[in-house]
Amino acid sequence: MINSSSSKKHDPDQPEVSGPAPKLLRTKMSKPEDTEKKNLNKKLKDVEISVPIVYGNIAFWLGKKASEYQSHKWTVYVRGATNEDLGAVIKRAVFQLHSSFSNPTRVVESPPFELSESGWGEFEIAITLYFHSDVCDKPLNLYHHLKLYPEDESGPKSTKKPVVVESYDELVFPEPSESFLARAQNHPAITFPRLPAGLTLPPPVPTEDASKKKRGDTKDHPLGQCFMNFSEADELLQLAAARQQVQTHIAKLKRQISMVDGQQQQLRSTSDQ
Amino acid sequence: MDAKDILGLPKTQLPITQEKKSRPQKEPQRKPDGISREVYALTGGLAPLMPSIDVSQLKKRPPSDEKITWQWLSFTNSARKDDLQLYHWVRVVNGIPPTGDYSFAKYNKSVDVVKYTDEEYEKYLTDPMWTKEETDQLFDLCERFDLRFIVIADRFPSSRTVEELKDRYYSVSRAILIARAPSPGDVSGHPLVKEPYNIAQEVERKRALSMVLSQTKQQERKDAEVLAEAKRITVSRMAAQAAEEPELPVAPNVGLESADRAVVLGDTVSPSPNGQLPSAAIVPSTSIMDDSASTLASLRMLRVYLRTYALEQMVQAASSSAGLRTIKRVEQTLQDLGVNLKPRVPTKAVCAEHLELRKEILTLLNLQKQLQYKEAEGSSYRDGSYIDMPGTPKRSQRAGDQDRTFVPDSISFGGERVGKRDQKRKGPGRLSEAPSSPAHKRPRKMKASDL
Repeated sequence: MINSSSSKKHDPDQPEVSGPAPKLLRTKMSKPEDTEKKNLNKKLKDVEISVPIVYGNIAFWLGKKASEYQSHKWTVYVRGATNEDLGAVIKRAVFQLHSSFSNPTRVVESPPFELSESGWGEFEIAITLYFHSDVCDKPLNLYHHLKLYPEDESGPKSTKKPVVVESYDELVFPEPSESFLARAQNHPAITFPRLPAGLTLPPPVPTEDASKKKRGDTKDHPLGQCFMNFSEADELLQLAAARQQVQTHIAKLKRQISMVDGQQQQLRSTSDQ
Repeated sequence: MDAKDILGLPKTQLPITQEKKSRPQKEPQRKPDGISREVYALTGGLAPLMPSIDVSQLKKRPPSDEKITWQWLSFTNSARKDDLQLYHWVRVVNGIPPTGDYSFAKYNKSVDVVKYTDEEYEKYLTDPMWTKEETDQLFDLCERFDLRFIVIADRFPSSRTVEELKDRYYSVSRAILIARAPSPGDVSGHPLVKEPYNIAQEVERKRALSMVLSQTKQQERKDAEVLAEAKRITVSRMAAQAAEEPELPVAPNVGLESADRAVVLGDTVSPSPNGQLPSAAIVPSTSIMDDSASTLASLRMLRVYLRTYALEQMVQAASSSAGLRTIKRVEQTLQDLGVNLKPRVPTKAVCAEHLELRKEILTLLNLQKQLQYKEAEGSSYRDGSYIDMPGTPKRSQRAGDQDRTFVPDSISFGGERVGKRDQKRKGPGRLSEAPSSPAHKRPRKMKASDL
């Protein structure tokens, strides 16, 4: 916790951060600072920064207003898993729509990275994420199959209940640059890595005042109540239970095998006589 | 009464006409007129190898002012020296028989074999390896058999190889040609001068050719195996290098390649699963380590990737030692345990746990196999009918049997327990695949309730 407390001293305006980032800080501020500046663009090995994201779509049926070609209004988006602003990492998102849309390549230059349209058909949307120059110079593709119609078609259609399909994933940046690491240090959208021993970082770059900046997070999003929850704990619990079951079974099998071995040893000795 | 009546369908012509309409579109190459369907079918619809007379020509009537008769007439062949008269049928137009030479006479080609005088021989052609008599004989035969050297070698009185004969013939012809020419420049363009016969190269060429042609299938297979093995080694070396020095610009598809290899390996391993010796279960663990290291290295090359992609790659690498069937059974087990095949929240921790679970299931399946094998082995001891000698080293024998023949379980094991168990497991579609591999003794799937 040394680092996070010291960073507060340096920058009293630093907003209180939530999330797992501060817990993982294991750095010591001991090395001389002049070497750090040189290394700003150096790649750091054995460190990986990951950014939990959720991408998907929400679709509303237009009910009475529905026409043949405009039956649904939908929004496709990439958001932070805890609805934090992804603007620190992602510079721009490009949504590639079906070729029947006018200007099917839609570029969103600032967070929140979302796009609303209306239509009648489901199709695959390719989402290309471009990152800031110190983050990564390569883009990354996501693929989302736009979903407008609910799975069980038997239920009555409703304009109130939207169809929501979301996927959780993590953007992983192996060997990040030091400047990205410095920026990532106290960012709520970014899972900060466990740093190797002896590694030091420059003091965190002061972030702009949250009130001045245009808001890019999706915390008070009008569709926020539709967002799904992704619980890591549930998943881990399930896996732990499964592993325990398998391990018990392995132990049982090992016992049986040694038992059979013992029997054979006996049989062999008797038949040799 | 037709099929439609029987089925109670309405007698519309519509579907049939539609069919007829669509057919010519599908078959752009139509059968040409004038050829019967059966004959055309023999060509398989392919274009003929040789140009034939256009069919429209065959149907054309001859011009009416021509009166054509065929007559049995005598003819002489200018290619013959004996003025022999033979007869053949000739097409005669308006009563005028065709004039001119016999039409096939032009095909009687003969080779101009060089003739040399005794003086010339003494001056230019002496060769310690050849006597004059032999050379004369060679040139006689060359003339007689039109340079067919295989035949000449066969008729040649002393034993000389084809190459030796050719060498002598061409060197003599060349020497005479040069000697008779007014200046060397006049014959420099002649093929005999320009491209001298190289006996050493010809002998070597024929030796290599006969070596390739006389190679047995087994040798060929061995060669292919060695090459495949060499390729495998280079690939794994590259992967290991990438793992050691991740900064080297290695193509990011190393992971893919190792995955491909994994599939190949898996296929070759899977046919002998119930002969799998206990030691076999230990071996793959090292290769898993290699594979995951190289996968990690190739992921690092990407600079940015999705966690789910990384998990997919790691799963592939971890199951590289298993066959396709085993991989399917691992997934079945995951489902039976109520675990998503692809985690819903793939965080780093979740992915690590998921991988561990998969590895544990692999271990579990291996242990199951081992237990089955041991039980079967034990029951054959108990039964005693299978082995004549109690001291026979059973294990190696079984392993050896594996690749050669399929032996039904009930015979090879003589174990009642295994046989009964098998009966129960037999599901639909089971019998058809049974003879292909002895692997069918393994349980199809493991239920969660078994655990």
